[in-house]
Amino acid sequence: MKTYIAQRLGIGAVTLFGMSVVIFLLLRLAPGNIVDILFSTGGYVNPSERAAIEQELGLDKPIWAQYVDWLGQLAVGNLGKSYRYDLPAWEIIKPLIPVTLELATLSLVISVVLGVPTGVLSAIRQDTRLDYVLRVFSLAGLSMPSFWLGMVIILGLVAWFGWIPPVTYVRPGENLGLHAIQFLLPSLAVGYRSSALIMRMTRSSLLEVMREDYVRTAWAKGQTGGVVIWRHALKNAILPVVTVIGIEFAFLIGGLVVTETVFNLPGLARFLVQAILWRDYPIVQNLVMLIAIVVILSNLFVDMLYGVLDPRVRYGN
Amino acid sequence: MRRFRFAARALEIALAASVIVTGTTPAVAETPKAGGTLNIMLREDLSQGFAIHETATISTVWPAGPCFSNLVLFDPAKKVESADTIIGELAEKWSWQDNYKNLVFFLKKGVKWHDGQPFTSKDVKFTFDMVRGAPDAPGKLRLNPRKDWYANVEAVEAPDPHTVVFRMKRAQPSLLMMLASGYSPVYAAHVPPASYRTGCIGTGPFKVKEWRKGEFVDYVKNPDYFVRGRPYLDGLRYVVIVERGTRTAAMQAGQLDAAMPGETSKGTMEQLKKAVPQMVFNTVAASVSDNIIMNVKKPPFDNPKVRLAVSYAIDRRGLIQAAHQGGAVLGAAMLPRPYGVWGMAEKDLLALPGYGKPADMKVRARKLLAEAGITADKPLKVEMATRAIAVYVDMASFVINELKQVGIEATLKQVETAQWHPMATRGEYQIGANLTGLGTEDPDANFYENYACGSPRNYSLYCSEEVMKLFDRQSQELDPKKRQEMVIAIQKKLEDDAARPILDQRLDYFAHWPHVKGLTPHNNIYNFARMQDVWRDK
Repeated sequence: MKTYIAQRLGIGAVTLFGMSVVIFLLLRLAPGNIVDILFSTGGYVNPSERAAIEQELGLDKPIWAQYVDWLGQLAVGNLGKSYRYDLPAWEIIKPLIPVTLELATLSLVISVVLGVPTGVLSAIRQDTRLDYVLRVFSLAGLSMPSFWLGMVIILGLVAWFGWIPPVTYVRPGENLGLHAIQFLLPSLAVGYRSSALIMRMTRSSLLEVMREDYVRTAWAKGQTGGVVIWRHALKNAILPVVTVIGIEFAFLIGGLVVTETVFNLPGLARFLVQAILWRDYPIVQNLVMLIAIVVILSNLFVDMLYGVLDPRVRYGN
Repeated sequence: MRRFRFAARALEIALAASVIVTGTTPAVAETPKAGGTLNIMLREDLSQGFAIHETATISTVWPAGPCFSNLVLFDPAKKVESADTIIGELAEKWSWQDNYKNLVFFLKKGVKWHDGQPFTSKDVKFTFDMVRGAPDAPGKLRLNPRKDWYANVEAVEAPDPHTVVFRMKRAQPSLLMMLASGYSPVYAAHVPPASYRTGCIGTGPFKVKEWRKGEFVDYVKNPDYFVRGRPYLDGLRYVVIVERGTRTAAMQAGQLDAAMPGETSKGTMEQLKKAVPQMVFNTVAASVSDNIIMNVKKPPFDNPKVRLAVSYAIDRRGLIQAAHQGGAVLGAAMLPRPYGVWGMAEKDLLALPGYGKPADMKVRARKLLAEAGITADKPLKVEMATRAIAVYVDMASFVINELKQVGIEATLKQVETAQWHPMATRGEYQIGANLTGLGTEDPDANFYENYACGSPRNYSLYCSEEVMKLFDRQSQELDPKKRQEMVIAIQKKLEDDAARPILDQRLDYFAHWPHVKGLTPHNNIYNFARMQDVWRDK
């Protein structure tokens, strides 16, 4: 097992290195840089002032030198300075992490709590009215973009109740109740969409497993429905669902940009988009690497979970 | 006692009579209440912190304004800005000398910076030597968008701690207007200018408490503010909300007390009015014009007939309805009355290219194009560039449709913000749909910035020595009436040359809840950000 983990981490490190090259180059391929943005806020361009700022920010160095500088800083845990805010990048990024992590986790919990039971119900009541209702419900979730749903929620709340969740981030320590309300609605909007995918995956996976001989044997032995479904069938059907959950979590970390924007939550994803528009290279590069690390680790975690859920799966042999 | 009873009775009768005559109870001046915090809208995070001198965007001026003070400013209580509405802020009084070639300010005493250091004339000299780019200026700005405003200032002297003298190369009464702009705060000489990108040491009514990046800027009352009894509020919070729908919902739900200048369009106003009938809306000019830039150095727009044809072709009234739902007004380079004092009268506007009947204007456009060899059989194909932002694209789409009707086939090219100004400044475009904001409604600020030969913001690269002389002549003219006539003539000339055809002047329907008092929006979005007279009625 330890060998397996070490191997996976090694592969992860190689992946991160490749990511660093890709993100570094892609950013610089995009037209314009921070200096162009700064001048756009000034409404003019001056070549000599421009050259001075590029020198100040180290943008006049050859690209390979900038890359080496960045990697060198990363190696000693220095994430550099935000071009826009002139502050250490870590100081800007740190407060954003809990917001996105919380939103992604809550959304995932909602999607699992909603998706797995409805998928099970839909499978065991296949081709009944309940099955059709649940399938339409899940299809609606897949069809509705979560940002649109978020906007509809906001507009509906303000139109009917004259109220919306707080537009300024409320930390848990400041007011837990308001904080919970602030995160509940966006989590529901995102969780609903994710639950649709999990529901459909659970349903199809369970339907397949329920046709297996050992399940038929369990029925024949007189086991109750609950034991057959939850102890025997679901345990085997859940593996692909776990994969989907892992992928969803990784997607959510970077994919919550519009939800965070609509509900005005100061998360990583929203900030990443702003940083890209501003060509704030240190922030973008480090945020993307952070997201990549989360994806790698969450994939590793999912793979480890297989070993727990399915005793047949053993790593490191 | 009898006399008192008589006077009281007389007052009762007078009041009753006034009610009978007017049908209303006479207004009683409201007494401002101290305390409370105001939540104010911000559409994006501060672009360069509080460094007003290094930006040209309302997104900095609006949230940074409460931190600072100017030498002079436009009276916060007066909507229309002019030389007559300028009042002293850090300046106790001022005096023009040597036939408007020297401007002397006598500064208020006892003013302190937020860190407790005393404010003196040294700070004023430091600031304006830096902004005008004086060779020996101890401070330097990374970006300096308004250096040209002070091109005529020869020296800034500080003969004593409470006197400052601006010496100019020639008479320029407009200097006072530029110093009153929200873009002209005084920086502290004892802090590096770069520090304003991350924080703010000012002399203003509020001190920065916290700037949480991407979330909000919090201010607290400055207990040492040099205006006694001000500010009324305990604090301000500028809340960053990037998504427009969420901003409007936040206003409607009462989570924001006041909007951001320039952000309440007619459509938004109607939506909010329906949902919250008691909300207060103030119709003001935004001092932002929609205009067309054409590269006069390259074909086909090096031909004045082609440029003029473009101007004739565009139905201004149609644009105002289509793109703004009526939320804009006709106007040339300067704001028309009643919004501004330099604008052309309606009868003069109607004589300009593009302001007459659309069908007639298009006939004239076609005629001009035919003279330039462009006909329906040989249409002119051009690329219309504009910023990839909705307000720009809406305008550009309308203009493209108008041009099509006269034989100019324009394709839309949306340019990302990062590329727009470099492209425009280098002249790497043919024709563009543009927005221009003015920091102060003064001809000097407008003409030298946007039309002067060699100005970095003269995107059309228009250059006329004759017109430059007119600029200089009006700038030095001391008789207001004569200057007015000159400015009107220049506006006409600029439109006749199609230097940068103005399509309309945008309106803003600045919104705030009725409990917000003392906040008077101006006909210029940059000049009412101070907040020192604002108070809450609940």
